[in-house]
Amino acid sequence: MSTKSATHNARSPWQLGIPLVWLSLLGLAVTGMAQLEGVFRLFEPDVRSVIYSRVDFSLLLGRHLFVVAIAALVTITVGLAAGIAVTRNKGRDFLPLVSQLASIGQTFPPVAVLALAVPVLGFGTLPIIVALMLYGLLPIVRNTLTGLQEVDAGIKEAAQAMGMTSGQILRQVELPMAAPVILAGIRTSVTINIATAALGATVGASNLGDPIIAGIVNGNTAYVVQGALLIGLLALSVDSTFEQVQRRLKAY
Amino acid sequence: MSLKDPLPVAKGRLCWFSPNWVLLLLSTLALGAFLGLEIVSVAPNRIVSGTGYPVFSALGWPGTLLGAGLILALIGLSCMADQRHYRGAYRAMLAIVMALLGLMPFALMVAIHRLVDSDLPQARLGIGAGFWVTLFVLLLALVELRTRLALARIWSWSLLIPIGLLWWLCLSLWLEPLALMREYHSRSEQFFTAFRQHLELVGTAVGISLMLGMGLALLMRRYPGGQKAAFAVLNFLQTIPSLALFGLLLAPLAWLAANVPLAASLGISGIGWAPALVALVAYSLLPMVRNTFIALEEVSPAVIDAAHGMGMSTRQVFLQVRLPLALPVMLEGVRITTVQAIGLTTVAALIGAGGFGTFVFQGLGQAAMDMVLLGALPILLMASVADALLGAVSDFLRPGGAK
Repeated sequence: MSTKSATHNARSPWQLGIPLVWLSLLGLAVTGMAQLEGVFRLFEPDVRSVIYSRVDFSLLLGRHLFVVAIAALVTITVGLAAGIAVTRNKGRDFLPLVSQLASIGQTFPPVAVLALAVPVLGFGTLPIIVALMLYGLLPIVRNTLTGLQEVDAGIKEAAQAMGMTSGQILRQVELPMAAPVILAGIRTSVTINIATAALGATVGASNLGDPIIAGIVNGNTAYVVQGALLIGLLALSVDSTFEQVQRRLKAY
Repeated sequence: MSLKDPLPVAKGRLCWFSPNWVLLLLSTLALGAFLGLEIVSVAPNRIVSGTGYPVFSALGWPGTLLGAGLILALIGLSCMADQRHYRGAYRAMLAIVMALLGLMPFALMVAIHRLVDSDLPQARLGIGAGFWVTLFVLLLALVELRTRLALARIWSWSLLIPIGLLWWLCLSLWLEPLALMREYHSRSEQFFTAFRQHLELVGTAVGISLMLGMGLALLMRRYPGGQKAAFAVLNFLQTIPSLALFGLLLAPLAWLAANVPLAASLGISGIGWAPALVALVAYSLLPMVRNTFIALEEVSPAVIDAAHGMGMSTRQVFLQVRLPLALPVMLEGVRITTVQAIGLTTVAALIGAGGFGTFVFQGLGQAAMDMVLLGALPILLMASVADALLGAVSDFLRPGGAK
């Protein structure tokens, strides 16, 4: 896609509206789930209650967002810091180990990490946050490394020749040039974590995974659909927001 | 004229002290964990949580001094690693790390001998944080040493396999009071059933999605119009949380089993392997199709042209040129899919599909952490082994790759 058409796309109101559409659908689904009782009745004609009502959906959504946001904050900070540190002259010794770790860590299934976190941290929200942090860290580290390493050495040299300090080169040259790749990593990490956070319901963390687990345990598909619907809408809202930001970045 | 001359040049390190910082940090961490954290814990039975013991009471002074001495030697060697005889220093460090890894099961034996009361038949020894952290840090050091010494994959395997065999031997012969082994002995048959179920599910799912993925990728090459739609559907499937996809398949498959006699006679039902397999295949399709498609597309047109120019038929070009060149990238897809499927099969235990996830979720339900470990550790091992093996195969197949 040429730069011109990318600029055009970023400004067209239709494109900007996509995240808003998903967000408003999510809001509608959270507040008006009870109005959809007739629809869910189709899935489960025989059971007594078809709308998950043990905890309010907005509370579940809030908890889900909280877990994902904390994990994202930590992973973005740590991942960026680690990626930047090992590409500096002083930290270059650690580069092989960190990049190997980033690929090895990807082979650890999140369920296994979650299960291993429980003996150490107990039941509840903490183990799922830790599991999400470990799992979400790797795409960010990997993409930060790729992004920073792909910056043309000639450009860095030119910046140095213009008298920029290494801090200025990092902030004004390297990071802006690596930003699209880094952002892609953050997008992958956060989107995967929104879906993975549902696993927290199996270790006693209450979030949007709750209706799914309750549905599986009680054989009530309607519950499962409600949990899946909300998680899917949340993932789509966040993902499309990231897509817009990426388009903006590319348009520059 | 060179522009570079007036530029500030990055200064070289001072020569009198130039350690390998990575290994220095790792070995210091190992020493800290070894001496500072609880190495083992002992519990009289399964329910009571154990009391932790630091290294002095678990191993006695001789064991503590041996371990600490070896780690101190690592610290010393990493301080002189960047100097002239660095290769020798790295080799010595490699030997020490291997020795430490090999000594670890014996340390557990000593701890059992000293701490576990042999009169209590249910007494068990739990592995403590200090032990895990030391093990983890040593494995990291191994990764770093492998990179520094530029060891080929096959070498690092031939180093790790004897260590693994030693561990297995110790575990099966002398480490019975270990909590993990107590859990294993009380359900060793279930363990092998779970292993078989896990392997079968992963193998079948990867096999089916490999065939379907190849077919879809070929179709997409023939009908480029469908590409976007196909990828949209596959992407959508990936956004459904795994937990939900398993749950969503319960009802349709139960209906199928109740209303289609053939399905019921095949053993399809709402819970069990059928929904698990369908979900696994659905998840595996995206990485498989994407990698197959990209692999086939990315073969350089010049190579294809040359092949045509040599008089090869379209069929020959595909089978003898395009497919072999695309194979490494396709195998990359198989690797990603397999590792992902091993993890997802764990979740499938929630809908009664069996596998190691059974232990994880039963253990979580009973708050029996040793049982959780019994499920989670084999999963980690399986994922790492599958990753390493398939990675080695795709290295091997890459043109001009490691032979």
